[in-house]
Amino acid sequence: MRGLSISALILIGLLGALFIYVYEDLPAFGDPNAPAIKYTKLFSMAAHDSEEQLGQGVIPQELISKLKERGFPRPSRVESDPESENGWNVFIPKNEFHYDKEEKYYFIQKKGDELNVFRNAFVIRWIEKGLKETGVPNMVTYGLADYRSYDTLGETTVIFTAGISVILLLRRRGRL
Amino acid sequence: MKEDKGERSIVTETISRVMIPFIQLFSLYVIIHGAVGPGGGFQGGVVFGASIILYITAFNLTDGRRRFPESASIVLSSSGLYLYAGIGLLSILFSAGVAQYLNYGFIPLSGQFEQNRALGMELVEIGIGLTVMAIVASIFFDLAHKAEPKNKKEETD
Repeated sequence: MRGLSISALILIGLLGALFIYVYEDLPAFGDPNAPAIKYTKLFSMAAHDSEEQLGQGVIPQELISKLKERGFPRPSRVESDPESENGWNVFIPKNEFHYDKEEKYYFIQKKGDELNVFRNAFVIRWIEKGLKETGVPNMVTYGLADYRSYDTLGETTVIFTAGISVILLLRRRGRL
Repeated sequence: MKEDKGERSIVTETISRVMIPFIQLFSLYVIIHGAVGPGGGFQGGVVFGASIILYITAFNLTDGRRRFPESASIVLSSSGLYLYAGIGLLSILFSAGVAQYLNYGFIPLSGQFEQNRALGMELVEIGIGLTVMAIVASIFFDLAHKAEPKNKKEETD
């Protein structure tokens, strides 16, 4: 009996340590305030001659200063987006905060006389890198069982708890 | 649900006898196919549980209990959760502080990192399927079990 309680205490301590480890290790994916849409619009600015600069692969100084003013990571290079005309993808360099690789971060689109500056949301990374990272083509499955697997573990625990509660409540065998 | 003394419907029994293996096979397909198409552990587990429920409704509760006993439902429901949590614990231990989430790629299941992740996902889906199947069947057994033995028990007590 004494050995049992001691081993139970050790097990509880191990589980608590594991919980603290997991809690410390919870992911920080991008900006937590960004809505889960493809692009989030940041601001728009007047396009004087920045279109030619962007076409030559040069980032306009005005854009850099405006991004810096708002506290966003500094852009490193630009290339035109193959899927849209008058659109450019802007990358951020390695070792920025939260991003240890070079990432596609901003999206710039010319509309009329203005340049609209968007930010790629986390979903973009989800869509573009999921197959490469997990080797599973189904977007929902790698979300459910890989990226958000702590969440699914909790859901399974909820179902297990529901079943156990039904057993405890209904399987009383005559006693109240 | 029919009692033992009630008359048996040959049509229901034959149809369910033919259908149940196909339903169970389809549920296993749904669980395994979850990686490449629609499906997954929750859906496949519920389909498997529904096949057990169909067996009980077509035959009777005692036969159903013989096929799927209480101990099996307890063992399967907890072992599915243990499988999931064990895979998660293994991935935490093997990754040792590198991964930001449950990254199955560090478990040495096969040679490649991405293939490890896919395999870990399959195992996790199987665990979810086991738990959901056993819990659905167990809840149905408990809800259906209530009526018959209680009167007998009260008479004997």
